[in-house]
Amino acid sequence: MYSAYDKIPVPIPPRAFSMLFFIALAFFLLAARLWYLQALRGASFAEQSKNNRQKTVFVPPARGIIRDRNGVPLAKNRPAFNIQMFLHETPDVEQSVERLSSVLDIPVAELNDRLKRQGGPRFRARILVRDANREQIEKVLANRWFLPGISVANYPIRYYEFGSLAAHVLGHIREISKHDLEQPEFKAYYQPGDLIGKYGLELQWERYLQGRRGLNSFVVNAHSVKIRDLPDQVSAIPGNTLELTIDHDVQAASDAALEGEWGAIVAMDPRDGEIIALSSAPAFDPNVFTGELSAAEWRGMVSGKEKVLNNRAVQEVYPPGSVFKMFLGAAGLEEGLITPNSTEFCPGYHKVGNATFRCHKRNGHGRVNLDQALTVSCDVYFYILGQRLGIDRIHEYATRFGFGKPTGLDLIHETPGLIPSTAWKKKRFAGTEQARWFPGETPSVAIGQGATTTTPLQIAVALSTMVNGGKVFRPYLVRAIYSHDGKKKIEERKPEIRSELGVKEEALLAVRRGLEDVVNSPQGTARRARLPEEWGIRVGGKTGTSQVVALSIQTSKREHQHHALFAGYAPAENPEIVVVAVVEHGKSGGLAAAPAVRKVMEAYFHKTRGLPLPEPEGQKEVPRVAAPAPSPASSPVAPLIQEPQIGEVATQ
Amino acid sequence: MIPEVKSYFSSIDWILLLIVFTIPTIGISVLYSASYDPDTEHKFFLWTLNSGLVLRQLTYCFAGIFVMFVTAAFPAKAAFRLSYYLYVFVLLLLVAVLVYGTISNGSRRWLSLGPVNLQPSELMKIGVILALARYLSKTPPKHGVYGLTELFVPCCIFGIPMLVIMRQPDLGTALAVGAIGAAMVLFVGVRKWVLIGTSAIGVAGVAAAWNWFLHSYQKRRVLTLFDPESDPHGSGYQIIQSKIAVGSGELFGKGYLEGSQTRLEFIPERTTDFIFCVLAEEWGFIGSVLVISLYFLLFFRILQGVMRVKDYFSALVGVGVVALLFFHTFVNLGMVVGFLPVVGLPLPLFSYGGSSMLTTFFALGLVLAVTAQRSVFSSR
Repeated sequence: MYSAYDKIPVPIPPRAFSMLFFIALAFFLLAARLWYLQALRGASFAEQSKNNRQKTVFVPPARGIIRDRNGVPLAKNRPAFNIQMFLHETPDVEQSVERLSSVLDIPVAELNDRLKRQGGPRFRARILVRDANREQIEKVLANRWFLPGISVANYPIRYYEFGSLAAHVLGHIREISKHDLEQPEFKAYYQPGDLIGKYGLELQWERYLQGRRGLNSFVVNAHSVKIRDLPDQVSAIPGNTLELTIDHDVQAASDAALEGEWGAIVAMDPRDGEIIALSSAPAFDPNVFTGELSAAEWRGMVSGKEKVLNNRAVQEVYPPGSVFKMFLGAAGLEEGLITPNSTEFCPGYHKVGNATFRCHKRNGHGRVNLDQALTVSCDVYFYILGQRLGIDRIHEYATRFGFGKPTGLDLIHETPGLIPSTAWKKKRFAGTEQARWFPGETPSVAIGQGATTTTPLQIAVALSTMVNGGKVFRPYLVRAIYSHDGKKKIEERKPEIRSELGVKEEALLAVRRGLEDVVNSPQGTARRARLPEEWGIRVGGKTGTSQVVALSIQTSKREHQHHALFAGYAPAENPEIVVVAVVEHGKSGGLAAAPAVRKVMEAYFHKTRGLPLPEPEGQKEVPRVAAPAPSPASSPVAPLIQEPQIGEVATQ
Repeated sequence: MIPEVKSYFSSIDWILLLIVFTIPTIGISVLYSASYDPDTEHKFFLWTLNSGLVLRQLTYCFAGIFVMFVTAAFPAKAAFRLSYYLYVFVLLLLVAVLVYGTISNGSRRWLSLGPVNLQPSELMKIGVILALARYLSKTPPKHGVYGLTELFVPCCIFGIPMLVIMRQPDLGTALAVGAIGAAMVLFVGVRKWVLIGTSAIGVAGVAAAWNWFLHSYQKRRVLTLFDPESDPHGSGYQIIQSKIAVGSGELFGKGYLEGSQTRLEFIPERTTDFIFCVLAEEWGFIGSVLVISLYFLLFFRILQGVMRVKDYFSALVGVGVVALLFFHTFVNLGMVVGFLPVVGLPLPLFSYGGSSMLTTFFALGLVLAVTAQRSVFSSR
């Protein structure tokens, strides 16, 4: 039965011996390989094994705090959670991204985009969702076995407690871009995923705010899970604390005064140049930039008519309109072209050559002196004065007041504005017929129109100069820098006088009398700027209404309405605060801008003198009537002055 | 009764068994180190193992030894008679796996039979050894060595299960089956030109596959073998980490329970396919060579038995088992030391896992049975 089974057709031992020889050869190869790895290259592998388990990571420092002049933190840090991915722990990146996308309901493309933005070594975390909300964290944790390589990590995040308050001053931070990372000045300090100041003070003071990162060396397992720390550690040093000149309460009032409007407010201390409040509307919430901001959201922010990211107080220029008249008045007095008592006759128009320049009051103001001309904002008076000064003297005095050049505020993106002059025209229109100055161009400039443009901040600096006796201060926002624990003062800003005006004190006082009448005289254009009677604080100032389009094509559309300006100061005798408000398309300075200034001043004096805030107005449109009993001087019904319209240039 | 038992034990190759027992003993101590977690366990206190890995491996080991002794009690002729039935039965199971099998890690390998999970491809290795041994011993080459036509049936015997296993897909096991078949056929002898021809066709096939059929990721997996640093975190990761683990053991090792590479989980499959890393890292060159020598002694002893047997079937079973164990050992170690691609094959008697342990002991039981010089064989 087993014949074939039993038969030995080939000799077994030699074959078995061959097989054994083959096996011996294979094992010899293995042993040789082991000798090579373990004996010959063992030391090098031992070193690699040490490096393998020792990792050093950067510890991000806490960003410096920005606080207001009284210590109220405007920008601070709060704990937050990021959903992140470690590539070396992710067997299939595509799959994990797809799954995360379905778990969190974020498009795959969006996640891939975030992943792509962050390069660098593989063991560095890629942040997929910054500042994840509670629901997202719970979803990721619940599905963590389904999401290899994806984890949740604690990471302090910038937090602006008051949302959009002072947004344009504080600015915002964003994830550093790939382009920035390649720049030599950033390369050494940042890594992908880091947040960096991109706007406002956050950008300007980035070096101070960023802090110094620490080094954490530790033993890890293959999943980069920390087993224990190694002895040598470098702790992170938090960024420095910025102390601003901004006052939170005044700033809040200022922001509120612009609610629903487009425009800007600057509040400044004329005695030293400190900026007490600086608002631009519409504002943004800087918190949105620290989280995930989609490309579409970003585009929505930077483009569009609203120009949300534009700081209208320093970046935007407006024709100053009638606000400009006060500086012309000071120039006329200094040059001896007028005296406080000299008068001009306003028939309602003024002729230069063939051109007729109208006063906003068609039938004229009659005979007016400087004080009256400012009070009623007579255009003809200043057409005449402007002509006597000539364009270059207007330019010179405006320049002395700080117009036409940046004020030197410690905030980037400041625009210089423009005061026209013969030299400017020659340069601007070089080679054309327009290259010389025509006398008919001067009257427009004299009333703050034409090519004249200024930033709200420049007006604030100029008015400060007017009311502080002629000192042009450099405005500033950061008054001190402290170490993170507040113990060491690293830098302190002292008020800086950039130049002296060089105008007689009497001249300035004469103009100021006019400015007080603008607010307090029954004919004044800015009666709405008055503070509560019982406070006993007088306000001075000047309204302005700047034309947006030619009156001939003006319609009732909002974007055709004039910009409203008001520049005021208080107390009139010894000014502590200068406030400038610009309300775009606010129709008239007295109606729209003066109440905004008043609100800021109320907040300021409430804060500094503990004066009780007046009851909020029921309606915006109700004219403010003087308190009935105490002051006999106030007329029972303050005649609401028809808002001055700027002179229309009509060629005959 | 007593004489049979006496003859059974006297026929057992105790030297072989000594080697066979030494390997898993070392293996379990290495497994303990590989699964050891210093935060939750006390050194050398086996019972507190929360993973239970070592205890389970011990259980598999004893079950395997039991299977081995039972198998060894059967006479070789029983294996001879049952071989084709076993082969056909396992082949049917393999087909059943393709249809009803449980999917894990992207392939269908397991058949769920109530509480027991069966992996028919493991059993197929034994099935191929027995069926091929029977066929080859019944059909010796007519002219001393096999010609091309004579090779058709033997090639089918191991080729068909190979293809089925490849479908699961399980490349490692399919290659193991192929290696077993090739070793057994070669043992009997193959005509020289057939050998040269098949080699040539094989080389051409590989070249063709490389150029036209392989996906880029498959090519990359092969290429990283030669240059693992080109993709240190992807497919080269295991190769690099494994080499670092082995190399950092240096001559005398880092000491038991001290291997940082494996302890800190840099080696993903440190209890199964890459368990040799743990040994090499903690016991160094000395320990590694000692264990390698044990495997060599194991094969040496089995082949020594093969040289002694009087029948061809027994010899072929022994050769098949050596081929099975050697292929696993060599491919596994070659992968660990970084000169073979990462193919998921366990190290016999060493890696954690019940299937591999049982199959290996079953195969060793067969070796014991066919090499036992008992009266029942010598007097047919």
